[in-house]
Amino acid sequence: MSNYVILTKVAHKDTKVILDRSTAYGDKVKIALTFPPEFRNVQACYPIFFIKDGETGQFYPAAVFGFEENENLFLSDQGWDASYIPMMIRRHPFLIGYQPGPNGEAAEDNPVVSIDMDNPRLNTEKGEALFTEEGNQTEYLQQSIAGLEAIHAGHEHNKIFIEALLANDLLEPFTLEITLNNGSNNQLLGFYTISEERLRELDGDTLMKLNKEGYLQAIHMQLASFARIRTLIDKKNALLS
Amino acid sequence: MTKKIHRVVIVGGGSAGWLSAGIIAAEHCIGLDSAANSVFDPALAKSSSDNFQLILVESPDISTIGVGEGTWPSMRTTLQKIGISETDFFRECSASFKQGTLFSGWMGGGKDATSDAYIHPFTAPQSYAETNLAPHWQLIRDQVNFADAVCPQSALAEGNLAPKKISTPEYAFQVNYGYHLDAGKFAELLRAHCVDNLGVQHVKANVQAINSADNGDIASIVTDSAGVIEGDLFIDCSGSKALLLGEHYKIPFCSKQQHLFNNTALAAQVPYGSPDDAIRSFTHSTAQTAGWIWDIGLPTRRGIGHVYSDAHISEDQARAELLSYIEASAGKDAADQAMVRKIKFEPGHRAEFWHKNCVAIGMSAGFIEPLEASALVLVELSAAMIAEQLPANRQTMDLVAKRFNDKFLYRWDSIIDFLKLHYILSERDEPYWQDHRDASSIPDHLAEQVKLWRHQTPWHRDTSHVDELFPSASFQYVLYGMGFKTEGSTTMRRSEQQAHKIAGNLFQENAKRTQQLQASMPTNRELINKINTYGLQKI
Repeated sequence: MSNYVILTKVAHKDTKVILDRSTAYGDKVKIALTFPPEFRNVQACYPIFFIKDGETGQFYPAAVFGFEENENLFLSDQGWDASYIPMMIRRHPFLIGYQPGPNGEAAEDNPVVSIDMDNPRLNTEKGEALFTEEGNQTEYLQQSIAGLEAIHAGHEHNKIFIEALLANDLLEPFTLEITLNNGSNNQLLGFYTISEERLRELDGDTLMKLNKEGYLQAIHMQLASFARIRTLIDKKNALLS
Repeated sequence: MTKKIHRVVIVGGGSAGWLSAGIIAAEHCIGLDSAANSVFDPALAKSSSDNFQLILVESPDISTIGVGEGTWPSMRTTLQKIGISETDFFRECSASFKQGTLFSGWMGGGKDATSDAYIHPFTAPQSYAETNLAPHWQLIRDQVNFADAVCPQSALAEGNLAPKKISTPEYAFQVNYGYHLDAGKFAELLRAHCVDNLGVQHVKANVQAINSADNGDIASIVTDSAGVIEGDLFIDCSGSKALLLGEHYKIPFCSKQQHLFNNTALAAQVPYGSPDDAIRSFTHSTAQTAGWIWDIGLPTRRGIGHVYSDAHISEDQARAELLSYIEASAGKDAADQAMVRKIKFEPGHRAEFWHKNCVAIGMSAGFIEPLEASALVLVELSAAMIAEQLPANRQTMDLVAKRFNDKFLYRWDSIIDFLKLHYILSERDEPYWQDHRDASSIPDHLAEQVKLWRHQTPWHRDTSHVDELFPSASFQYVLYGMGFKTEGSTTMRRSEQQAHKIAGNLFQENAKRTQQLQASMPTNRELINKINTYGLQKI
């Protein structure tokens, strides 16, 4: 379980974060939420699909790392084998929390950086420090906070992006069935993708609008990411052999 | 006389009128041109244009009866075809999920309240297309009730669980469902959709007279504020007074009171104690001394009513039974404050439904008590058949009319048989219930069927119709829910051993699926709150 508290230089002056990638640090996950601004990097390594949030039924784009729950085919004893790791994976142990501000700001208008005190990456000996001897933010922390801000903006971005896709009927359900070298069958269920057929039918005005809003590139990045399904299959086959 | 049929006029604007309008308009693309002039223009009221036109004439002075609050699963397909988003439907009609009916107190014969209850769920028994589980259940009937053994749906009643999740697309499901809804709001949603999106022309006026053509057809209707409206086909949705089919054409009414005695309803709306109170997954039907009480849970309130035979008890006694039910289930305040509306009806239907160029849908065609909520489904089926078989011209209309009449006379008989079945299996001893078991009150066809079912279970072979209103599964649920016994065959059949093994597996599968659903489905209240906040996705 997580135990988020607000990050302060007093409480966390000695805290260090281990950056290694491993099962012990919670990296053995099947998917991670992603955002159009990082689609270019994500599609270079992983397939991107759309998934429904179980609590709200709302769609979000996700990078896919495996076929089964808690399967990450990129993770091994040697770490995470890929040139890019999605922001939502790298954000740990930080999170943007909300609390009422000192000058009476409503909680939802006052984002604050929080840290998960139960995260196994935290310790006082190894890894990256958060604050310097003088009590200033380290470069690592500054980068992490910038990442959180990008994630915060990304959530908003996703909302409008998905709305545009749904308004143009561009999403369709997608089931992937693959047979591995050992003859076993694997299925990816509950995934949605952009419909190439619908995309081809869009008129010029709609395409121009999508292009202006920056969604056209994201749409093609998602479609291009299909090529990475092969990567998943190859990695799975390699595990079996 | 090859007059084309391109102008349809619906008289009456309750659920029946607007649902029919939606179903017909959705099938016969009226097009954007006429949508633009969906505000009625008397200058266009002559049947001159070649485009298909649909006009609905609604009296501004007559309020709709608005108590039809339960639907069948067929309503999902109907709404989807009409093009209404299920999210909008939930938000605007105070709708909830209906997964079937829970019958309490119907068996009698000294059973206590817990054992005198059974469920008729909307989901058919496991693998119903291939396997008949009923004979195999007879061997384990002392251990598990029929519905629980063959289908996972009845088990969802206890936790007031929903038939789907927020991630399930619109109109799709984990287990089959229809709706409970606010009939007034439903008619309003349909009206807005028909007028705004389907090009139906809405006229608010009272019908004052009817002009006949030489061949006896209705040529036009005369209204008080919108002039004369011509039409090629007139649909009578004017309610029980049946303005066109009854008053104008004098088509006789066939009373069915000799089979089904209920002819009066006392209806009330009861608030929840708290806005978080559970919303029931099933219509709850509780037997009384001379009728039964319906209890329908909407997100915003409950609709509770007593439908009874006024030949068997007085209105005062019926009211006392209703208020005592409300007091027991919602508290004394709710009972004290309940506003009770009385609705009289004669159970039965017209001798024919389509006469000349006039067809009746809804209460104008007939009405039988609301047990098993057959009113709205008949509207859906009637309008769908008109939409599908809309005669190309006046000549073919008589042929379509004959098919329509044959089909719906058969369907009314099916409804009467199926409703009557609920009563004749009871062991309650009040005069009303004894009268129901009197052989003279039981339709011959039903009496024969029941004799047969003493020796063989209801199954697909029982009917020769492909679009039977009540499939044999419904008969199984009611028969075995009511404790009916079918004796096993006296000879051991070769096919039986293999079948018995398959049945055993299906019972196990069902138990497993029941557990999964119980563990994973949200409550109705949780899901409806989420639909209000996030909406359901279309895919």
